[in-house]
Amino acid sequence: MPLLEASALQKRFGGVDAVRGVAVRVEAGELLGLFGPNGAGKTTLFNLIAGAHLPDRGEIRFAGQDITRLPAFRRARLGIARTFQVVRPFRDLTVVENVLAAVPSEGASLHDGVAAAWSLLDHVGLADRANDRAGALTLGMLKRLEVARALATEPRLLLLDEPLAGLTAREAADLLAFIGGLKARTSIVMVEHNVRLSLPACDRAVVMEAGAVIAEGAPDEIRRHPEVVRAYLGEDAA
Amino acid sequence: MISVPNRRSAVPGGIAAALAVAGLAAALPWLGVSSYGQTLVYYAAYYLALGQAWNLMSGMTGYVSFAHGAFAGIGAYAVVIALNGDWRMLPALFAAAVAAVLASLVIGATSLRLRGIAFTFATLFFQELTLLILRKLPFTGGPGGLVLQQILPTWLPYVMMIALAAAATIAVAMLRRSRLGLRILALKGDEAAAVALGIDATRIKLALFCASAAIAGLAGAAHGLFAASLYPDVVFSVDISLVALAVPMIGGVATAIGPVVGAVLYVGIRELLQVVAPQLHLTIVGLLLLLVMLFLREGIAPAVAGSIRRRVRGAAVPSPAPEGSR
Repeated sequence: MPLLEASALQKRFGGVDAVRGVAVRVEAGELLGLFGPNGAGKTTLFNLIAGAHLPDRGEIRFAGQDITRLPAFRRARLGIARTFQVVRPFRDLTVVENVLAAVPSEGASLHDGVAAAWSLLDHVGLADRANDRAGALTLGMLKRLEVARALATEPRLLLLDEPLAGLTAREAADLLAFIGGLKARTSIVMVEHNVRLSLPACDRAVVMEAGAVIAEGAPDEIRRHPEVVRAYLGEDAA
Repeated sequence: MISVPNRRSAVPGGIAAALAVAGLAAALPWLGVSSYGQTLVYYAAYYLALGQAWNLMSGMTGYVSFAHGAFAGIGAYAVVIALNGDWRMLPALFAAAVAAVLASLVIGATSLRLRGIAFTFATLFFQELTLLILRKLPFTGGPGGLVLQQILPTWLPYVMMIALAAAATIAVAMLRRSRLGLRILALKGDEAAAVALGIDATRIKLALFCASAAIAGLAGAAHGLFAASLYPDVVFSVDISLVALAVPMIGGVATAIGPVVGAVLYVGIRELLQVVAPQLHLTIVGLLLLLVMLFLREGIAPAVAGSIRRRVRGAAVPSPAPEGSR
């Protein structure tokens, strides 16, 4: 059974079909890339999975449970964590407080929570900035902070919305390597614009165009897929 | 800056200090302090209780309420009506808190699911609506108001108000240092991001608003006993809602000490102006609020604490593990 299975998802904004009849599945332990040109519906699909929007039609199952109509905070508690395309740190909190706020309070003592937050910051390389205000960090650091914050919820599925956007080549390569290393603790879906850099890191990829899935498969298949070459990689790889 | 749930030792110290100050203030009637002095202390406690009530909801979440004066008014009416109906004191106070909580549920259930300004407008509308309704209801005495039918010892509302102000201040201090408090501040910082981390924003906002209304209702009830006669235009004047907001904003929102500073300053300013320009005190307080917002942003107490901290250095979440330390 896949970890996440969405079928026949439909979402309309005003007169635009942002997502029309999309089916995706995420297997446990995989890194799934989600690609497509601007306006393809990737972020809308993310928002449907995370619960920021409810679909007009279709069904989403997570670990066998129907979560189609669950509010976002319940999905987060079930183990779906996300980051945002434009970083959304809690700017007035310190870096470690940002992470601590995300540690589930059930069961764990405050002391354990603080320890977990510190070890995550260590993991993403932000321990030396732990007591600075989050608002004082650079974009590259904020991206890593968002990943640490999402990981603090102990997710089984991590949704990364353009994690590499706005980073220098060096930062992007570092973060991508870091994301690859996360597969041991959670499944990942990653929306990315930088296909060339991120596709090789994926186990599988889904390509969307105009609200629909046009290709799905291993990175090699995606690269050769005629629809993909036409719709997306063509302009990029030409 | 945000204090941190790790400096736990600071909490019992702060609570002990708060209790000591409250105990001393409550003992003033028996220490030969003039009734003028007592009245000043009483009003500081009243505005502190109202300010902390507002702080608990609006200071912590950023959802600005203009209804806290109305909650206080509802509490005042409820306690006087109940006592005049021969209820005992405790059930009457309980009724005051419940009435205020029910009122907050009316506002909260309709507007707290929404984000931003909808809530603020709902509270403003509610404030006006309550005044309108109270003037028409058969058991509220209409525009002429209500008078408490029994004579209470003057120390009773005095001690009640000080106990309430102290309890509210301690509650805010404890919340502020809890992990729940941190989650609430996260929600204030970015609600969508907080929800994505599993924080149930609607429930937290509603619970805080109810708790906040209960405190405001009790403050109003104690003040109703203190004043003993209620005139709707005075009890439901929007001024009280403005003071409930100004006290924490001047002193420092989302801190326990901020409203204490704000309440003492407010009573001081009002008292000074009483002689010089009695009509101007809200204008002056408004000006002060403006200056604080322009130059200190987070309020007086955080600004002072920040400048001390910069000199002393420290005050941070200590790393529990050696590998995380600087």
